[in-house]
Amino acid sequence: SVAEIRAGFAAIKANIQARDPIRTHSILSHPRSLHKVKSSDRCCITHHLFDFYVDKVFKHCKTEDSYVNRKISSIANSFLSVRRKLGQCHEQNQCMCGQESTEKFKQILANYEGLNVTSAAMKSLGELDILLDWMEKSR
Amino acid sequence: DALLPAPQNISILSTNMKHFLTWSPVIIQGETMRYSVEFQGEYEREYANESWIPISECSLITGTVCNITEDISATVAYNLRVRADAGARRSEWGTLKGLFNRITTSLTPPVLKVIADGYHLLVDLEDMGPAFQFLVLYWKKGQERRVQQKVVKEVRSVVHLDTMEAGADYCVRAQTYVEAINRSSSFSQTQCVRAQGDKSMWLV
Repeated sequence: SVAEIRAGFAAIKANIQARDPIRTHSILSHPRSLHKVKSSDRCCITHHLFDFYVDKVFKHCKTEDSYVNRKISSIANSFLSVRRKLGQCHEQNQCMCGQESTEKFKQILANYEGLNVTSAAMKSLGELDILLDWMEKSR
Repeated sequence: DALLPAPQNISILSTNMKHFLTWSPVIIQGETMRYSVEFQGEYEREYANESWIPISECSLITGTVCNITEDISATVAYNLRVRADAGARRSEWGTLKGLFNRITTSLTPPVLKVIADGYHLLVDLEDMGPAFQFLVLYWKKGQERRVQQKVVKEVRSVVHLDTMEAGADYCVRAQTYVEAINRSSSFSQTQCVRAQGDKSMWLV
C-alpha cells in the first residue's frame, strides 16, 4: 500500500538523499511541478511514473548497506502491488493519457537521461516523497 | 569435506501479519550449526535478475526461526531460502516449497475488553500494529435489530462507543480489517455489560 511505501521510504530517505550530490536538478519537478498536472491526466501520469520507477529506477539503486537494500526491495515490491491496482483502472479506461501527461512524462525521462544512470536513479529515489505527496494530495 | 545437508521442512508461520520462517535443525555430532536466510520478492524475480537479499538479523544464527515480517512488506509473492554453516563447511540452499504471499496470513479475532463506565459504553482494543483497523458492532440487549457500528482506524486508547440508558445491558463484538490485503478476521466473542443505575428510573 502507499502508506507502506511511505514508511519504507521514510526509513531510508536521509541516507538516499545524502547520496545525491546534484542539488540543482530535479527529475520530477523540472521545469514544472507535478502539482500543475490537470486532474484528468493524473491517473495516467501516476501509472507512467510507477512503470518508470519499476523499470528504470530501483534496479540502479543497489547500495553497500544491507538495511537500505532491504528497504528498497520493500518499496519496489510495494510498487508492484500498487501498480497492479493502477493497472485495473487502466483496463477500465479510467486512466486516459492526454497531451499534457505525455509531455510531462517525456520531460521526466529527459531529466532522467540527462544524468548518469546511477545518479539519476538515486536522485529519482530521493524524490519519492515528491511523488507520494502529490499522489496523496490528488486523491 | 562432505557438504552439509541443506535445511529441510522449511515453512512459514504467519498470523496477524507477523511472519516467521522455520526449518528443521541440521544435526552433525560435535558441530555448532549456524543458519542464514535470504528472501526474493516478485520485484527481484522479475526485474532484478532473480537476485536474493540477505536478512542480516538472520545471518549465521543458531536458532531455527527467523522473523521475516519486516521484509515481507508488500502484497506480492516471496521466495525464501536457508542454508547451514558449520566451521568451514556450508550446505546448499534449502528453499521454501512454493511462494509466500502475506495475503494468506491467518487473522484471529481481536482481543477486546468492554467497559461500562457509569453510563458510558467503552471498548479497550488490543493494539495489533499499524496494518490493523477494527470494525466494532454494539447494540442494546433485546434490540439486536438496531446494531450500530464504529470503524476504529488507530488504536490509541479506550474507544467511546455510546451513552447507555440506566440499568440497561449492552453488547459488543468486533473484527479486524487489514487494508493491505483487503481481508477481515472473524468476529470476536460477544461481550455484554450493564450500565449503572436502576432500570425502573425510566418507568417513572
